[in-house]
Amino acid sequence: MITIMKKFDLYDLKQTVNRHGVLISFAGPFSHGIIEELGQAVTRYLEAEAVTKASLTDVFSVFIEQTQNVRNYAVKMEAEGITDHDFNSGIVTIGRSNQHHVVCSGNFARKSDMPSLVAQLNQLHGLDKKELKALYKQQLRTTRNPGEGGGLGLIDMARKASEPLEYDIYELDEQYCFFSLCVTV
Amino acid sequence: MENFVIEPTKSSPAILFDGTTGILDIAGESYPENSYEFYKPILHWLSRFCNNFREAIVFNCRISYLNTGSTKSMMDILDLFEERHSKGLAVCVNWYCDSDNDRAIETAEEFKEDVTFPFKIKSLEE
Repeated sequence: MITIMKKFDLYDLKQTVNRHGVLISFAGPFSHGIIEELGQAVTRYLEAEAVTKASLTDVFSVFIEQTQNVRNYAVKMEAEGITDHDFNSGIVTIGRSNQHHVVCSGNFARKSDMPSLVAQLNQLHGLDKKELKALYKQQLRTTRNPGEGGGLGLIDMARKASEPLEYDIYELDEQYCFFSLCVTV
Repeated sequence: MENFVIEPTKSSPAILFDGTTGILDIAGESYPENSYEFYKPILHWLSRFCNNFREAIVFNCRISYLNTGSTKSMMDILDLFEERHSKGLAVCVNWYCDSDNDRAIETAEEFKEDVTFPFKIKSLEE
């Protein structure tokens, strides 16, 4: 067998993306402008798919909360002067699984930020829709610091999700990891 | 009082507060990069109005989508109105939403639950 130098195989990447039912994907820096542009593309795509207006709103809002959480985290890291990883470079995908849409995002994160995030996700996992609504309203009243928006976003996503939020943490080294979150709407 | 005007962008709504009539119009999508900073000036303007004038306030809201940060700021605006209402001054909200969008109606109803002043949910065509 002849082996040639391995090129970057875009076909292979495209096949992987297709195999997982991904319809739209973006990997790179999440600027606010990119979030706006992708948001419009997602809306147009869903309109063409003729989903109900309520589902369109749900998928769009989960997409916005996911991407803004990644973006806000990167802004926070930058403000703290932590630049050893490109926190702003993330990935977001929107796909289909059976009758549902799945919105996933992934980004680099500090391992030390994971325990509180995991605790929050586990707390949401045990709540029904009514309890989630009560928690959401309570958080709306108690979140004072404008930078603490992430918690509210997670509850909002859990309210719109048809299945529990799924997350994964891929350890990179002593300090950092890659965090991913998938929300089935 | 002078008017307060903000032009819309893709992710932030148009805001017009008429300082003479007390009519506040907000229309568009709301997921600005920093919702707190975006809504701070209008909140400040409205508090000034509330502290200095006794005229009625009518808020016509035509926001098609609010992210969680904007929802928080919207609660702050409604809290200010609630305070005004508790002092016996007139405030009312006309919240317009797409009658085909159950989620938009639900969002409006959740705001309505938290206030005691007149809050009408209207169809966009009205």
